[in-house]
Amino acid sequence: MSCSPFDLKDYYFGELGEAECARVRTHVESCRVCSEELDRLRLTEAALHSLPEEEPPRRIAFAPDKVAGLRWWQTWWNSAPRLGFASAALLAAAILVHALVRPVVVAPRPAAAPAAIEARTIEARIGEEAARRADAAVRAVIAQSEARQAQRTAELVEAARKDMEFQRRADRVAYEETLTLLQKRYNGLLVASADYGGRP
Amino acid sequence: MIFREVEGRDLIARARRKDVEAFNLLVSRWEKRVFNYLLRLVRDREDALDLSQETFLKAYRNLAKLDDPERFGPWLFRIAHNEAYSLFRKRRPEDELPAESAPAPARFRMYPAELSVAVEGALSRLSAEQREAVILKVYEGFKFEEMAEALDCPVSTVKSRLYTALDLLKEALAPMPSRGVQ
Repeated sequence: MSCSPFDLKDYYFGELGEAECARVRTHVESCRVCSEELDRLRLTEAALHSLPEEEPPRRIAFAPDKVAGLRWWQTWWNSAPRLGFASAALLAAAILVHALVRPVVVAPRPAAAPAAIEARTIEARIGEEAARRADAAVRAVIAQSEARQAQRTAELVEAARKDMEFQRRADRVAYEETLTLLQKRYNGLLVASADYGGRP
Repeated sequence: MIFREVEGRDLIARARRKDVEAFNLLVSRWEKRVFNYLLRLVRDREDALDLSQETFLKAYRNLAKLDDPERFGPWLFRIAHNEAYSLFRKRRPEDELPAESAPAPARFRMYPAELSVAVEGALSRLSAEQREAVILKVYEGFKFEEMAEALDCPVSTVKSRLYTALDLLKEALAPMPSRGVQ
């Protein structure tokens, strides 16, 4: 326990005023306990300073990029969906220009509800286009189906032809074998008849 | 020194106007101190480097909120302190402050000399708050008021943490003088 008039650690770390420091200095010169306490603080600090400071493994530096204070429009422009925004804007501009520049056919129609008429025209066109595409798709499917059917028929006919040919050959072989057998039997009978002196 | 302080104020003023080059100069002046503070606090190089980068990034983004350019140091260390404690909380969801009762794992033993290892072990046995007080006072040379500003707590709390830590360190490192510290 220190008997110093002020905290020795405050004195050691230079947190006292000049007058307070002077009083502590005077006290320490005559107090062995406080003097040893100060020595222990010095030794502890010296030991702590044996830990060397390290250099950072990599230098830290910033580039004037997106994290460094870009304006809102710069942030937006650097955002990932900017191409989508740009495409949408271009498309909208194109539609607008087309709508403004396209020659308008003046028809003696009532001026009321031109938007509805336009919508009906577009709807009719869409219907025609959809029907045309559906028809083409159905035709393509039918053509493909017919082609597959024709190929299948040809394969079946060919298989039947091969079966018939095989059967025909088999029948012919059987017929020839039967004929040969009958011929042999006939010859045998002919020989037997001659042995008994008869005529065939 | 005065010239350097004036230049520092100028750099801060330029950085507040989004002058990245000026801010990079500020970073080069402070990065070693911030890195070593974080390294001694979190005791992992990669974590310390990541936290340093995050600290400077947040400093750049919030520089306009710095009222007094003279207080740049404590303000910067306060950001670093918050970053380190965010990491502690992430690693320890129960919000327990890291006080080691055992010696640090081998991967934290960064220094070959026996004394350095002993000091490192003694520091690691302090609580993070005590260790931080020692780092800011002994290694960074902060005044108590600056420490209180950086740690966002009263001066009395700072002193209490530091002096408790010093008593523990004195005890832990007591044999050291006979083994080389003069």
